[in-house]
Amino acid sequence: MTAGTPKLRVEGATKAFGENLALAPASLVLQPGEFVSLVGPSGCGKSTLFNIVSGLLAPDAGHVQLDGRDITGTAGNVGYMLQKDLLVPWRSVVDNITLGAALTRGVTKADRAQAVDFARRYGLGDFLEHYPHALSGGMRQRVALMRTLATNHDVLLLDEPFGALDSQTRLEMQQWLLQVWAETQRTVLFVTHDVDESIFLSDRVLVMSPRPGRIAAELVVDLPRPRTLELMTTPAFNDVKREIITLLHGRAAA
Amino acid sequence: MRAGTLLRGVLTPIISIALVFLLWDLIIRGFAVETFVAPSPGETLDALRENWSTLWPLALETIRETVYGFLVGAALGFALAVVMAQLRILQGLIYPVLIVSQAVPIVAIAAPLVILLGFGIAPKIVIVAWIVFFPVAVNVLDGLANVDRDLLSLARAMGGSRRRVFLHIRLPATVSPLYTGLKIGATYAVTGAVIGELVASTGSSLAGFQRAANSSLDTPAVWAAMLLMTVIGISWFLLVVGLEYLTTPWKHRAARRRLRFGAANDPRS
Repeated sequence: MTAGTPKLRVEGATKAFGENLALAPASLVLQPGEFVSLVGPSGCGKSTLFNIVSGLLAPDAGHVQLDGRDITGTAGNVGYMLQKDLLVPWRSVVDNITLGAALTRGVTKADRAQAVDFARRYGLGDFLEHYPHALSGGMRQRVALMRTLATNHDVLLLDEPFGALDSQTRLEMQQWLLQVWAETQRTVLFVTHDVDESIFLSDRVLVMSPRPGRIAAELVVDLPRPRTLELMTTPAFNDVKREIITLLHGRAAA
Repeated sequence: MRAGTLLRGVLTPIISIALVFLLWDLIIRGFAVETFVAPSPGETLDALRENWSTLWPLALETIRETVYGFLVGAALGFALAVVMAQLRILQGLIYPVLIVSQAVPIVAIAAPLVILLGFGIAPKIVIVAWIVFFPVAVNVLDGLANVDRDLLSLARAMGGSRRRVFLHIRLPATVSPLYTGLKIGATYAVTGAVIGELVASTGSSLAGFQRAANSSLDTPAVWAAMLLMTVIGISWFLLVVGLEYLTTPWKHRAARRRLRFGAANDPRS
């Protein structure tokens, strides 16, 4: 990889379902270690773009590059996590974390050791052999993120991972995610429709708009890190928030 | 198991069955029913004890028919479900045959099967398997078809191969529906074995014993045979339930029993 090559590049990705243009040509670039959020109302093509990057969906036109290598329409190149934790009920916490290895090449001792290490480091040390049904919603999402990390991909796609949690747990999870992100140095593309969440977490926020789905604006979140909850009540935070809300709603009204 | 679970799971069924026996006894005594018309529980148990040396080998034979037929039926049902789940066209071809197979009255299959397979254990095994394979096939097929689509997408996004996704996601997902099918099958399996014995009656079977006792008006022996058949059926069902409990720990345990990485705490407590 040459210096300056972006971690992830999407160029002119387009997707139509029948007559309906779900995603107008969309382009985005993520630098290594960047945290970028996609915000927008439902039907703005967030999930379509997400599925194209993950390789689950082949775009009608355009391409996706990882480290300058074309990965358009091929799965297994990026980490992937949804709002539903999708933990496998018959596997323990550790075995859920190693699911990626089990599905691709078989679980090795090293995979298990890494899973145990992740779990211990990020607050699941007492629950290694627990089954998912015995965990709280927040803990289940932690396991799901550990599972995503354990696939050892540099790019993590997180599609509203905290969308189903209560607001208190959600705040905890956001801070926790920032800690994990800072320590593991992954590149994150984060889908949400929570504006606060997108600002709190991201280096940049991409605002999407519907019919047809497209990236309408980009906003750099120039707020210091590490970030704590106090940041959310500062004027600087509110300035960014006002700007995003104007982009989201002002545009729709115009 | 917690005390409440124990109470509900074990004690209440025992109490309810004891009540049935009590009611049975009260009816026989209250209406002064003659023994040759219907015996009391005590008389039935006496008849069971008196005929035990004859009944026990016959019961073993019925158990053998039930177990063999059950295993054949379960294996066949499971295999059919897996095959059908692979291709829609196969499902379209096989499913109607399954339905038709169950529309044939089981009593009416028995006679042709005995003609075809003789008076040995074979026709009984086929009848039991015939009854058992259907709920197993239908439930397992349902389980395979209803694996969470998002989970399959996740597996695909992870780069999972078709074979490994089947092995680690689809196949384990059939365990619960498999047990549902097995439990339904278990309750009917003994019925199938007895129907086979009845049609191919050569005397040396529980059904044959019952028929002989009936023609000599030994009503307590008739009831004793019926009781024994019922006990075999219940035992088989309970065995399947026990097996389910042992093989699906994630349904009733917070954590895996073998703790390889140190202590575990129940987060709910």
